Amino acid sequence: MTATWAVLAKDLRLLWRQRTGWVSAGAFAAMTVITFSFAFDLATADVRPLLPGVLWVTFLFAGVIASSHSFSEEQEQGTFDALLLAPAPRTALYAGKALANLVGLLSIELFVLLLGSVLFNVPLLVPRLILVTFVGTVGYVSVATLLSTLGAVRSRAVLLPVLTLPLLVPLLIAAVRASGEALSGNPDGAPWLLLLGVFSFWSAVGAALLFPLVVEQ
Amino acid sequence: MSWLVGQASRLYGVRWVTLPPLVGLGVFALIAGALVVAPRESVEGEVQRVFYIHFPSALTAYGALFVVFLASIALLWTKDMRWDAIARAAAGVGVLFTAFTLATGAIWGRPIWGVYWTWDARLTSTLILLLLYGGYLLARSLADPTDEQAARYGAVFAIFAFADIPVINMSVRWWRTLHPQPMVVGSDGPAMPIDMVAVLVIGLIGVGLLATWLIVLRAEAELLGVRTQALRARLDRRIGA
Repeated sequence: MTATWAVLAKDLRLLWRQRTGWVSAGAFAAMTVITFSFAFDLATADVRPLLPGVLWVTFLFAGVIASSHSFSEEQEQGTFDALLLAPAPRTALYAGKALANLVGLLSIELFVLLLGSVLFNVPLLVPRLILVTFVGTVGYVSVATLLSTLGAVRSRAVLLPVLTLPLLVPLLIAAVRASGEALSGNPDGAPWLLLLGVFSFWSAVGAALLFPLVVEQ
Repeated sequence: MSWLVGQASRLYGVRWVTLPPLVGLGVFALIAGALVVAPRESVEGEVQRVFYIHFPSALTAYGALFVVFLASIALLWTKDMRWDAIARAAAGVGVLFTAFTLATGAIWGRPIWGVYWTWDARLTSTLILLLLYGGYLLARSLADPTDEQAARYGAVFAIFAFADIPVINMSVRWWRTLHPQPMVVGSDGPAMPIDMVAVLVIGLIGVGLLATWLIVLRAEAELLGVRTQALRARLDRRIGA
């Protein structure tokens, strides 16, 4: 537990000191939303059917960019080996890393939701949508953090989304549908939030169990 | 248990003598059965014959991906790199047969549904399978085959991907559906004539044998590649010293 907090505190401090990485991920997210509004002409009367898709594609792309930092920096600086030498369970290291990514990605998503509320004149910061975003992001971050341990492989920047996104198809479908429900208020006919919750829970458990095997030297 | 292992290794020892003729026989029987023996389907016509390859390919692809899953667990358990070669070989064959399933499905879909592709639940989840294991192969081919860290990463990805398959299927099914309902094993026995079922069983055996042979060939090629690389490294060191 203390190890988790130590890693989390270290990563959050780094996140703050090296703001550029996360700020650029946030800028990328803003740019994605704005590009979508030109591409789909989101200035129409009712954007609600399109918005969930726009939001989640933005979240996924921004998340891939943001989470790839968390291990590439460590590996470049050689600090990851030092971290592994620490007499702490590897699962605790993973939890710290994943929590730091969660904090970073949630801040970006909050920013996007704020931006979307202003741009599309739809109140996006409603409790139900925030709940869906939170649950989905937990699942997303747990998978992305595990897969971002991909070492110094050639073309890792392309490889990471190619590996991550197909795994996350259930999460994307469930999150988009649940967000649509939250925005329109009409139930969709399938328990999407439940599916999202189960997926996120099992991803987090599975990733925490498998992480020690990936980083073993 | 040891008796079983002994039998299995004896069977594996004669693979070069037994597998190629069996595969040839099985595939020939499949082609003959699908084209000649099976009756013409009254509604769909001749194009229905592609089903005798389509359905076995789909099952074989799932089988190969299950082999990837088992070999990945074995790799993490034993740290024996030979399991990685088997996993990579089976993933290649799995991707091949998944692509084959999609291709034969498209050939059938055009005259029957009027489109090559539609975003139906089963089609979509098969496509996602192709993307998942295509990504796995890509990731493994970018790293050195002897890289143990990369092998473990690939194994963890393969385990995650395999565990993801039921969730993908469920989420996509809720998303939409159009594929014909299962014809082969209904609640009251097979819903097709007995000679069609016979051809289908032959197809399953033929395609299954073909996939087994391909996996064995690929795995041995991968192992030889790893050994050659190790020998070359040793040679380089000796020349360098």
